[in-house]
Amino acid sequence: MKRVAPSVTRRSLLAGASGVGLSALAGCSERFWSRAENTSPEQVELTIKTVPADDDAIAAMIMSQLRENLQAAGIDATHEPITEAELYRDVLIDGDYDVFVVKHPGIDEYDALHGLLHSQFVAERGWQNPFHFSDVGVDELLERQRTTDGDAREESLTELFDYLLETAPFTTVAYPDRIGGAQEQLSLSRPPRRAIEFVDILSQEFDDGPFDRPLEIGVYGEALTDRLNPLVVDRNRIQGLLGLLYDPLARRSTTDTHEPGEPATYEPWLAEQIEWDDDGGLTATVTLRDGLRWHDDERLDADDVAFTFRFIEDTSLGDVEGTVPAPRYRDRQTLLENTGRIEVIDDRTLELPFGSTGRPAAVRALSVPILPEHIWDPRSEVIAERQTRALVADNDEPVGSGLFEFGETSMDELVLEPFEDHVLRSADVPNRPSVLENFPQFEGIRYQIEPNVGAMLDSLADGAVDVTANAVPPDEVATITDASGVSTTTTSTTSFYMVGYNIHHPELGNPNVRQILSQLIDREYVVSEFFNGFAEEPTRSNELFGSRGQTHLDGTESTMPLSVFPGSDGEIDPERVRQLFVEVGYQYDDGALLK
Amino acid sequence: MTLVSVVFDLALVVATMLATATLVIVGPRQIAAAIRDARWRLEVCLLPLAVLALVLFIRWSTVDVVIRLERRVLGNNITPQLFELEQFLFPQNPVTVLQTFASPALTEFFVFVYIYGYAFLLLFPFIAYFALSNMDDLSTLILAFTANYAIGLTFYILFIAYGPRNFDPLLFEPLLYDVFPQSRSLTNQVNQNTNVFPSLHTSLSMTVFFLAWLTREKYPLWVPVSGVLAISVVVSTMYLGIHWFSDVVAGTMLALISVYIGRTYTVRGIHRSIRRYLDSRFGDRGSAGQQ
Repeated sequence: MKRVAPSVTRRSLLAGASGVGLSALAGCSERFWSRAENTSPEQVELTIKTVPADDDAIAAMIMSQLRENLQAAGIDATHEPITEAELYRDVLIDGDYDVFVVKHPGIDEYDALHGLLHSQFVAERGWQNPFHFSDVGVDELLERQRTTDGDAREESLTELFDYLLETAPFTTVAYPDRIGGAQEQLSLSRPPRRAIEFVDILSQEFDDGPFDRPLEIGVYGEALTDRLNPLVVDRNRIQGLLGLLYDPLARRSTTDTHEPGEPATYEPWLAEQIEWDDDGGLTATVTLRDGLRWHDDERLDADDVAFTFRFIEDTSLGDVEGTVPAPRYRDRQTLLENTGRIEVIDDRTLELPFGSTGRPAAVRALSVPILPEHIWDPRSEVIAERQTRALVADNDEPVGSGLFEFGETSMDELVLEPFEDHVLRSADVPNRPSVLENFPQFEGIRYQIEPNVGAMLDSLADGAVDVTANAVPPDEVATITDASGVSTTTTSTTSFYMVGYNIHHPELGNPNVRQILSQLIDREYVVSEFFNGFAEEPTRSNELFGSRGQTHLDGTESTMPLSVFPGSDGEIDPERVRQLFVEVGYQYDDGALLK
Repeated sequence: MTLVSVVFDLALVVATMLATATLVIVGPRQIAAAIRDARWRLEVCLLPLAVLALVLFIRWSTVDVVIRLERRVLGNNITPQLFELEQFLFPQNPVTVLQTFASPALTEFFVFVYIYGYAFLLLFPFIAYFALSNMDDLSTLILAFTANYAIGLTFYILFIAYGPRNFDPLLFEPLLYDVFPQSRSLTNQVNQNTNVFPSLHTSLSMTVFFLAWLTREKYPLWVPVSGVLAISVVVSTMYLGIHWFSDVVAGTMLALISVYIGRTYTVRGIHRSIRRYLDSRFGDRGSAGQQ
C-alpha cells in the first residue's frame, strides 16, 4: 500500500492535471471556434452628407444636431460635408449616401410626392425617388390621388399621409421663411424666387418708374452660371433664371390658393387657351399663341411642345433599349397617358391625352418648360451608358422662348436682355396673363453674383443691387435692417429642410428605424435657435412630408410619433431613445447600437 | 467691383508695410545699391522664377480640370477623418480652444494678419534676399516656394477637405467671413474651400520663418519679425476657423521639406540630373536610331 499509494497519487495527479488542462483547453477552443465562426455584431454606422456651411449654414447646423443625437443614441455617425452640386450628384444621381440633409426647393402640389416616392422611379435619377423607396401601399395611394378629384382626392391624400407616418421614407425638419432685402423705393411685398415673381416685380408701377436700366438682382454662390441646362440636377443655379428664359404652356399664379381636391390656378403663357375634356379619359386641347418665336428667331409651334414631353420621357428618343429619362420634370411628364399619343392638330393646336389622370394633378404638366426641338433633337445622341448629350450639355447659350433672352455672363454677373419679339410684350394679345398688366418697368435683368451672403448684402446696402434672390440666413436680418434705404421682406414658403434616408442601407431599410431617426431632430428647437423664429415647424402629417398645400387638408392633425422629440433643448435623452430601439428589436452593447 | 477695391486696398497696405520694412531691415543704401545692379541679379534668378511662374500658371490654367478630377473622379473626402482624429487626440478641438478667447479686437488682429500680414510675409523676403551680395538665398526662397505649391497642390487634388467653419458651424465659428465678407472674393480667386489640407498659409509662412533663421546673420532683425508674423498667421488660420490643427501640422512639415529641397537642390542642378538620367535611359537608343 505504502508503495502503491504515492504512484497512484502521482498518476491520478497527472491524470487530473491533464484532465483539467484538456477541459480548460476545450472550453477555450469552444469559445475560440464560436468567435471565429460567428462574426460578433457590429455597431450601426451612418454617414450624413450635407453641404458645407459656406453653401448653407442652416443645413450644416441641422446636420450637427442630428450627428450629436445619433451618436448619443449609440450610432457611429460621421458627417461628410460635400459641395452642393456634388451632393445632388451623390444623392440624386449615384444614390451614394446613407442619410442626407438638404434644403428641398419645395413641393408645388401634393402630386409631386408621386415623383418623390413612387416605386416606378426607383431606378431613375433626379428628384424621382432618390430614396429607392418602394411600398405597394404608398404606390396605390399615390395613384389614387392622381386619378381622383374633390373629396375622393382629399381622402386619399389624408390616408397617404397617415400611412407615411409609419413608413417615414424621409422627414421634414422645418419650413424656412424666405428672407430678402430690397431697395425701399421698390416696396416689395415678398422676396422673389420663381420666375413669375420676378415678372411680377417688373410689372409693378413705381413712383419714379419705368426705369431705363435693368433690374439688378443680387445672388451669391459658386459656379452659378456654369450650366444653364434646364434638365440637369447636379449643378448650382440661380433660382428662377431658367424659368425666365424658358416659357411653359402656363404658369401657376402668384395668387393661387386652391383646395386639395381642386386644380390650381394657372396663368396662360405660351398657351392662349386650354380646353379640358373629360369624355372617355381626360384630354387638354392647347391652342398656342399666334406668332411665337424662339430666341434664335425660329418659329415655336405645336411640334416643339409634343417634342418636349417625348424628350423628357426619353432623351435618347428611342436610340437605346429602354429609355434615358430626364432627371427633371420627368414626374410631370408621366401625368400624360402616353407621349406617343399627343396629337398635333396644326401649328398652333395640339391635344394632350391624360387618360385616367384627374385635373388637380394634370394641370402640373402645363408648367414644364418647353424646349426648342431644333436645338435639343441633336442632343439625343447617346454618349455613354444611360447618358445622352442632353444630360451633360452645359447649354451655355440657352435658346428659349421667355420674355428675356440670354445676354452675356462672366464670373460676377449674368445679363438677360429683353426679348422684344415676345408676343406677350404687346398689351393687346388675347388672354394676356394678368400679372403682365404694367410690364415692363425695367429694361432687362442683371444678376450680380457675389461670393457669399455678406458680400451680397453689402451690395444691397451700397445700392448696387435692387433686390436679393438668394436665401438670407436669419442671423443676417439685422444687417439689412441696419442699412438705410433698404427694407427686409419675408414670406412663408413651401421649401423645406429634408432629411432623406437611403432605403438600400441595411438598417435604413427598416421603417421602424426610419421612424425613430425622424424623431431625433428637435424641430421646435431648430426653429427657435437656428432660424431665430424665421421658419415654421411642421405641425400636421402632410407638413411632415414636405407638402404644405395652399389650404388645410382635413384629417392630418395626428403627427404621432414623428413629431415627438425624445429629449429637450435639441438634445435627446439617450435612455428614452435606446428604449425605442430596443422596442423594435435592436440591442445595445456598452452603449453602442448593434446591427 | 468689390474685388478691385479689395485688391487695391490690399496693395496699398502691403506696399506701405514693405517700404517700411525695407528701410528698417535692409537699409536704404543696400537696397539702392541692389537696384543699381539689378540686371545680373535678375539673370541669376530667372530660371527658378520661371519654374515658380510655370507652377502657378499650370495651377491657374487647370483649375476647372482639377476641380472635376478632385471632386468627381478621385473624390477622397477626408474631412470626417480629420475631425475624428482630433476628437480622439485632444479632449477639446484646438480650434474650439482658440475660439474660446475670441474677442472683437483679437478677431480684427487675426483677420489683418491672415490677409495683410501674410501677403507682406511672403513678399518681403524677395526684396531682402534680392539686396544681398549673392543670389543663393533668393534662389533657395524661390525653389522652396515652388516646392510648397507643387506638393501642396498635389495634396489638394488627392484630398478634399473642408475647414472647421464649413464642417460644423455649431462647434466652430466662421469668424473671417463674418467680419470681412468681401475677403471671400479675394480668397476665391486663389483657392477653393475644399483645399485646406495641408495649410499653405502655414507652410509658406513657416518657410519664410525657417529661411529667416538660416539667414539670421544677414538680417538679424527679420528673425523675430517673421517669427511673430508666421506664428500669428498659423494661429489665425485656426482661430478664424479656416484650418484644422492637422492642416497646420501638415503645413509645417511641408515647410520643413520645402526648405530642405530649397537648400539642397538648385533648379539648374535638378534640370541637369534629369537630363543625365534621360540620356542614360534613352540617349543611346536615340543616337543609335540616328545612325
